[in-house]
Amino acid sequence: MTNPIFWVGVLTLAAIYASLAMALNVESGWGGMWDLGIAGLLAAGSYCYVILTADPDLGMRFAPGLSMWVAWPLSALFTGLVAFAIGAPALRLRREYFLITTLAFAEIIRQLVVIQADLTRGTLGVPNINRPFDSFVTGRDYNYVLLGIAVAAAAVMYLVTRQIGISPFGRTLRAARDNEAVALALGKRVNRMRIKTFVLAGVLIGATAPVYLFYIRAVSPQLFAPGITFTVWTALVIGGLGSIRGGLAGAFVLIVFTEAVGLIEVDPSHINILVAIEPFMVGLLLVLVLRFRPDGLFSERSAFGAGNRPAGRSAGDSRPAGAAQGSGG
Amino acid sequence: MELVLDTVRKTFGGVVAVDDVSAVMPQDRVTALIGPNGAGKTTLFNAITGFDPPDRGSISFGDQRIDGLPPWRVAELGLIRTFQTPVGFTTLTVRESLLAAATPHFAETPLGALGLSRKARDHERASGDRAEEISAELGMADLLDVRTDELSAGDRKLLEFARSLMAEPKMLLLDEPAAAVAPANIGRLSQLVRRLCDERGLGSLIIDHNLSFLMQIADEVHVLDRGALLASGPPAEIAANPDVMRVYLGEDGAKDSEA
Repeated sequence: MTNPIFWVGVLTLAAIYASLAMALNVESGWGGMWDLGIAGLLAAGSYCYVILTADPDLGMRFAPGLSMWVAWPLSALFTGLVAFAIGAPALRLRREYFLITTLAFAEIIRQLVVIQADLTRGTLGVPNINRPFDSFVTGRDYNYVLLGIAVAAAAVMYLVTRQIGISPFGRTLRAARDNEAVALALGKRVNRMRIKTFVLAGVLIGATAPVYLFYIRAVSPQLFAPGITFTVWTALVIGGLGSIRGGLAGAFVLIVFTEAVGLIEVDPSHINILVAIEPFMVGLLLVLVLRFRPDGLFSERSAFGAGNRPAGRSAGDSRPAGAAQGSGG
Repeated sequence: MELVLDTVRKTFGGVVAVDDVSAVMPQDRVTALIGPNGAGKTTLFNAITGFDPPDRGSISFGDQRIDGLPPWRVAELGLIRTFQTPVGFTTLTVRESLLAAATPHFAETPLGALGLSRKARDHERASGDRAEEISAELGMADLLDVRTDELSAGDRKLLEFARSLMAEPKMLLLDEPAAAVAPANIGRLSQLVRRLCDERGLGSLIIDHNLSFLMQIADEVHVLDRGALLASGPPAEIAANPDVMRVYLGEDGAKDSEA
């Protein structure tokens, strides 16, 4: 079915989305901060990388022409700074107010990219992004190199986020998400911890941005429309918000499924119907997962090893035994 | 060391919830705070612990002014409170909840999580041992791996108490610790509160409706009525006070004997 290079590309994209979903999980799954600004942070990291590495001949006002190996970590750090600038005011808000604020900041970043055209080339975009090892491996074979880079990045992201999840830090994050008042009453500096987590997620997203650019090859502002944020969220929800492997699994399921829908062979006159049906199919996938596995493919519960109530211990020990039987479990 | 309230006042709109309350509560004694519903007991708790700072007056613990400090800072100074409705960390297991209570700040940073220091690991191991000890002492060792939202209301109360002990308190502030706890466990709870005080010098300030529980364990009782302090003294003296009988036992006695 189709040529292997196509599927190499699909898996590369899935690995990139997996990295983003795992980064999102740290702040949203464990930290309880429902961030709709992924696209903005990704844009910050991407444009930082592009500007630092761009060919000076493109006529951008600031083009130091740095090596990609220097620009990559700098992009991650810069995105962390942007996350701090967004998080410090936005984290004064809760839940849906926070969510809408992050969405707004992401759009502001995208508009800034459009407006600051002498720095970013605005809507023209920047073509021919520098990619690692492309002088050694050329042509179609480079796709395999790219897949290797994306998978390696996802693997590192998995190890980093897993370590955070199982650490005392991750535990306190989940505790403060579940009950902020109790966390405060135990001396937890909840706000400070949340800002740190938000910045950490920014650094992780910024570190993923160059990999995304290697795949896309050219950057322009419309890449960072809110759609990408919702795709990352969908992947995470399918995989299991708050679990350790959820982002990884959800991204592969979602991206492979989406691309496979695009492969359905139809009469050319019906191609527009196929295009229209794609988001519908993604919605259907999401509904089915939520219907039959409401916690996602992997649940937070399975990730953190909660056992079952020991037999013989009644629920509701303040009530008569008979009543407890009825409501126990 | 003592917890000192000096003319503490808290109003909500036109309602005076706490009306110029002054009291001294020694850190190594068991002090009970009683009063009918709406007397301002929980409001006073919230004022002491920084959740809802007082409008006027001062609160100090030892030689440190604590009114106006954020809740986490008050907790850091060793005043650890529990909550009336024990919701807890819903998705965490009992063990995780206890460990979270004991985690020091230096282990609670992203970098700390990545390169877990030896110091943090040792602390984590020691906390694990203490969690097992404390849960055994409270008769909930078999619940260590159960999620908080699957505990009974009574077990969640015990968890509140256990969690507070994990936070290395200098003084406990217990908001209705005996409510919803099985009678057998109330005995265990009062023994423990007493023992913590007598053997380790860890005192408590306790709000509860279960008077027999309070009268047994308290060294001193303060009675609040409509926000103001009505009487203070040892339990026997309070029980014999006709004013207290009138406002508290007279009006709410029937309900409290049920609890």
